[in-house]
Amino acid sequence: MTTSLWRQHVLPFSIILGLLATITLLSDYFLHLLNLVWVGRYLGIPGTILIIGSLVYSLRKRKYISSGNPKSLLTLHEFMAWLGSLFVLIHAGIHFNAILPWLATVAMSVNVVSGMVGKFLLDPSRRHLQEQRQDYLQRGLQQPEVEQAVFWDAVALDAMTKWRKIHIPIFIVFAVLALGHIISIFLFWGWV
Amino acid sequence: MSRFLKFVLAANLIAVAALSFTYPQLMVGPGKLIPGHKQLNADCFACHTPLSGASSERCINCHKPRDIGRLTTKGLFIAKPLTSTPFHQQLISQNCMGCHSDHAGVKSYKQHGHFNHAQLRLDTREKCQDCHKSPNDSLHQQITGNCSKCHSQEKWLPATFDHNKYFILDRDHSTRCATCHVRNDYKHYTCYGCHEHSQSNIRGKHIEEGIRNFDNCIKCHRSANEDDIQGNVRGREDGGDD
Repeated sequence: MTTSLWRQHVLPFSIILGLLATITLLSDYFLHLLNLVWVGRYLGIPGTILIIGSLVYSLRKRKYISSGNPKSLLTLHEFMAWLGSLFVLIHAGIHFNAILPWLATVAMSVNVVSGMVGKFLLDPSRRHLQEQRQDYLQRGLQQPEVEQAVFWDAVALDAMTKWRKIHIPIFIVFAVLALGHIISIFLFWGWV
Repeated sequence: MSRFLKFVLAANLIAVAALSFTYPQLMVGPGKLIPGHKQLNADCFACHTPLSGASSERCINCHKPRDIGRLTTKGLFIAKPLTSTPFHQQLISQNCMGCHSDHAGVKSYKQHGHFNHAQLRLDTREKCQDCHKSPNDSLHQQITGNCSKCHSQEKWLPATFDHNKYFILDRDHSTRCATCHVRNDYKHYTCYGCHEHSQSNIRGKHIEEGIRNFDNCIKCHRSANEDDIQGNVRGREDGGDD
């Protein structure tokens, strides 16, 4: 992988993912320090609303709705899903209690990573691999030699493609688990 | 998405749903219950009313307010109660969830050791010493009652009383409270509790200056600084000669 690919794609991917983890940990720390843990409890609501709002892009992409610029909606999808996930992660905190919401949190986190793999890594890597193949071919290498030369890059790309492919299935898992968690809250918690 | 993947997904979600109904305490319960309620672990609706949460009425079914702090739910005498004085009988309303949370995960949302004294009846609220012991320091050992004069019911610290507003306790006046406030009476004071200020010498000094009304010392003297005498010394016979 070239330095520019690293700087342009892998680094932003790592920074944004790291930022999500760092802000979550810092927020949790300061909420405890300032005796404001209850704020985290309610952040699950705006987090869920943001994630639901981010689905407008998915509806547009699958032509369930016809209005809206897909590119703008994609940007909005990425931002709302990232921020909503941040709120939900702070809401989850570093407390291990019920299993169902934790499974939902894990599914959401996997979904965030898979979405970010698609945004930052998959397309550039695909282009990069294609360019490498053409470069080797132009240098006079035979097809089997080219495939051998790009073997590990191809394996990495394949893994990324799989990450991308699980975006929708894992979202369904997340949605069902989150719904179970929300229903259990309504069932057992007193809002008043 | 392949049919196989859909099948695996559906099977897993059904399994999770089944586990949620079979083991609700593990799947959806926010942490372990307190040891006393261990036997209710899998019976969520023993305390929770569907869609409205845990209800005080259900707590009171077992925990009779008149017995709390005195008798167990089985009617046995409590030899070592958690509080020195039973106080649940003095609450203005029975809102159990206002203070108690039985699940470990919910406890982190409560302020530990914080009791809202506004929940007590007014007459009980003023009797701090019924529940609280006075600190063992030399200041508090001299005082009985009247806690609200210096402390709020929200927080013990910071103490809200500022003695300097009345009289500055400088090096010469940093003494025991009882020197000036005899019999723990903090509404009144005397300046004749020490050797320096005897009634005869204070009287002599003031009469010499033509001041006859010198009963309330802090009306003019807010500190020991003789250059910081306040008021226009109305007690003077001539009505105002400096």
